Amino acid sequence: MDIDIIDDEMTQAYTHRAIGKRPRVPVDDAHPFELETYISSYSGRTYVDRLIHIMSICPTLAPQAFQLAIREAQKGRDTTLYRSIFQAYDRAHADAPDEIPEGSSIATVDHKWLEETNAKNQAERTKLEVELKTYTSNMIKESIRMAHRDLGVFYRSVGEQAASLKHYTKSREFCTTSQHVLDMCLSVLELLMEQRSYSHIGTYVFKAEAALDSATSVRQAAHQAPEAPAGSAQATRERRSAERERVQSKLDVATAISHLGQSNYEKAAQAFLKVGPLKGLEEWSGKLIAPGDIAIYATLCALATFSRPQIKSQVLDNDNFGVYIEQEPYVRELLEAYINNRFKTVLESLDRYSTRHYIDVHLAPHVLNLTNLIRSKALVQYFQPFASIKLERMSQAFGWSVDELEQQVVQLIQAGEIKARVDRQNKILKAKETDQRAALFAKAIKNGQAMQAANRKLLLRMRLQQADLVVKPPKGQGMGGGMMDIAAMTGMTGMHHPSSYMSGDYY
Amino acid sequence: MSAAGASGHGLPSLDDVFTQITTNPNVANVASYLKTFAPREVRETILASALGSGQDPLTVLDPHRNTLGYLYILSARLHSISTANPVANAILPDAIEAFASKFNPPQARLAADRVTLLGKGIVRFYEAAHNPRGAIAPLSNLVQRYPPNLSYLTTLHPIFLRLCVTQRYFAAALPVLSHPITSVDPSLSDLHYNDNLVYHYAGGIALGSLKRWQQAEEFFEICVSAPAQVPAAIQLEAFKKLVLVQLIQYGETIAPPKYTLPALQRQLKNTPYNNFVKAYPAEVSTLRQIVAKEQEIFNQEKNLGLINQAIDRAPVWLIKKLTATYLTLGLADIGKEVGINSPEEVREIILSMIDSGEINGSISQDGTVTFADPVPQFSKDQLDKMLVDAQEHSRLLNEIERHLNASKEYLTKVCLIRFCRCMMSLC
Repeated sequence: MDIDIIDDEMTQAYTHRAIGKRPRVPVDDAHPFELETYISSYSGRTYVDRLIHIMSICPTLAPQAFQLAIREAQKGRDTTLYRSIFQAYDRAHADAPDEIPEGSSIATVDHKWLEETNAKNQAERTKLEVELKTYTSNMIKESIRMAHRDLGVFYRSVGEQAASLKHYTKSREFCTTSQHVLDMCLSVLELLMEQRSYSHIGTYVFKAEAALDSATSVRQAAHQAPEAPAGSAQATRERRSAERERVQSKLDVATAISHLGQSNYEKAAQAFLKVGPLKGLEEWSGKLIAPGDIAIYATLCALATFSRPQIKSQVLDNDNFGVYIEQEPYVRELLEAYINNRFKTVLESLDRYSTRHYIDVHLAPHVLNLTNLIRSKALVQYFQPFASIKLERMSQAFGWSVDELEQQVVQLIQAGEIKARVDRQNKILKAKETDQRAALFAKAIKNGQAMQAANRKLLLRMRLQQADLVVKPPKGQGMGGGMMDIAAMTGMTGMHHPSSYMSGDYY
Repeated sequence: MSAAGASGHGLPSLDDVFTQITTNPNVANVASYLKTFAPREVRETILASALGSGQDPLTVLDPHRNTLGYLYILSARLHSISTANPVANAILPDAIEAFASKFNPPQARLAADRVTLLGKGIVRFYEAAHNPRGAIAPLSNLVQRYPPNLSYLTTLHPIFLRLCVTQRYFAAALPVLSHPITSVDPSLSDLHYNDNLVYHYAGGIALGSLKRWQQAEEFFEICVSAPAQVPAAIQLEAFKKLVLVQLIQYGETIAPPKYTLPALQRQLKNTPYNNFVKAYPAEVSTLRQIVAKEQEIFNQEKNLGLINQAIDRAPVWLIKKLTATYLTLGLADIGKEVGINSPEEVREIILSMIDSGEINGSISQDGTVTFADPVPQFSKDQLDKMLVDAQEHSRLLNEIERHLNASKEYLTKVCLIRFCRCMMSLC
């Protein structure tokens, strides 16, 4: 049952992604981007997925991405993916027919490879399914689990994610140890992250954590049973915690990505910052996510939601996270510029690397939001120490025109982020001053009056209840009905519809 | 019609009743006598008849001294109005007038049901005489004199208010409306929950028509938040009016008290009013579009007047919002933000807002509006009054608490708990 729901949502997510048109992303001197270096940090399926994404949003890079994608796809055996590369390129070509050459001039569909691979896939599937059937009839639990798992892996490699997920989740019934459950959860998480169905990640992280707990405790018990000497107990504990840490980083990454996907930027930032050392990611690094990505995600989310001291202590002074920052040098510049109040630099570099951000599959839908959040936070922080400031000066600091700045500021004031007012005629932003004494008086009087009115009403209410003057359901209609039938109600009380005796409008 | 037939069956005639009324010094006895002297249906006929001497009893009795008898006879007469002859009817307006201004309240309270009957009778009588407004004056007298003080709710209240509203004579209700209801005494009159709902609903309408928004809001709110197990239709109607009044008054809606029925709030969400409230305050043209879509419903529910007033107020709220964002603005800029094209119109609105003290600002020669922070001013008198009010209030609350502490139910419960504790400590 659970699986069906997931399936539905997945197909929805897919169609949505296909329909939603992305903004076109420029690649030029102002927005430098190296496709080769970027894509070289990935491998496997995500390599192709990312290239397809790039083709759809960035026509200038499409031909190059097209070639790379085809080469990589032919290494695998997913024929649907192979076809979708061609479709993506055709779409890109249809969007910008003048800028890029036609698909057929670069590469043609390799029908021979397609047929061979299809046949091979078919053969393998039959083999695996027969295996599963045999094991099921023999009722060997462990073998059934492995058969399901193999089918899951197989379907995943040929790109049938729904079927793959079905087999992975089925295999859970046949898991005998929590280590198996953990493996299953991790496989499903990989699958979910690949598919970008963020809302389900949380459930599997939770399951994985529970499995992890019991797995470690079971192992501990097993190790201690054959009267192990104290030294070796120490060693096992260390090994256990290392193991735990390894899986934990993966789980952290998964949680973080799911938060990001659901626009919980603050939680995402915290989760990303928690991710352990680089080697903890093992095969996930590259296959699913590049270490540089973690740096970018975390930094953008942190800039958008954290306060300045938080950024300093949790991001810049975080040794663990430093390793990730190394991967993308501009991220450090960005952070330092922000800490040093060089907001113009911050915004410029955000713009400069916007291509890099838009091209990322996970980040793309949130770039606009995050940039807006960072911008408004920067504005708020900039104005904080001032009592009044010329809009002109402020616009220089941010590198905008005065009108643009005014618009931003007005938005922030209306949202209540900045406590100030704009002098439109003289172009000055002035902080609001409140006369505390008068404000206190006003508040006290207002509260007093509200209190008296509330007391009066409550008193009446109490009296009404004491006299049992409570609106009751009409006789013959049980309390279970809940919603009352207005007609029955008025009928019983012998009252006309209230408006009928109010002659006409009073205006 | 006459008493002759009645005496043959051993039933008292009106003359017997009359002697009882005039001679028995004990009012309570008279009350119980009047209640029981004959079977129900016969009683009314006897009371509505004339004396054996052919005299009209109402001319003979004194409304102050013989309040009870007068009340019984008058209400019976008003009740059987169609059967009485026109000569007898002719004196009724005077009798009503005389009774309403002279009756003895404590005596009348002994026959609460007759007072309700009388109130309804008066309304019906004047309606039959094609002069429904005539009922307002005597009813007003009755309503104000009957309860021990004006904080009590009686069955007369909804009758009176309903009359004022249907006759569109709202000002007449003000003396009654200006006293908030805080007490309810079932022994004073046999109240039904609808009496409370109708009184506050109609009161809200009257106050709203007089543009006393704040009081109107309170009345509607009381109606909406009245204790209920299921929502009543009238409460939903009151709720619709409440949100509109709040829009006029504050430019936004205020959440109803926590004890309001959740079902009621859900029901309001399903009405077209919800859309209007959500969009408010917006440019006048946008609001008009929304209203035009649901025109029929608004019109049918007689709320179009309130909605139009709310729309007229929309620019005021938009301008007020601007004062929070800007220090100075050109008239044209304001016009653009509010959606009004002519600067003159904007100037007018702003001037009226400054006049009424809603915003603090000034318009310079070149059409620049400078907004200043509103400066709350409090005089010493104002503060003193506030303090006196607060003291009065706390005295009232103290009194209620003492009452509660002395009440039988409370004491029984406390004693029971003490007793239980005692027993437990012994065990």
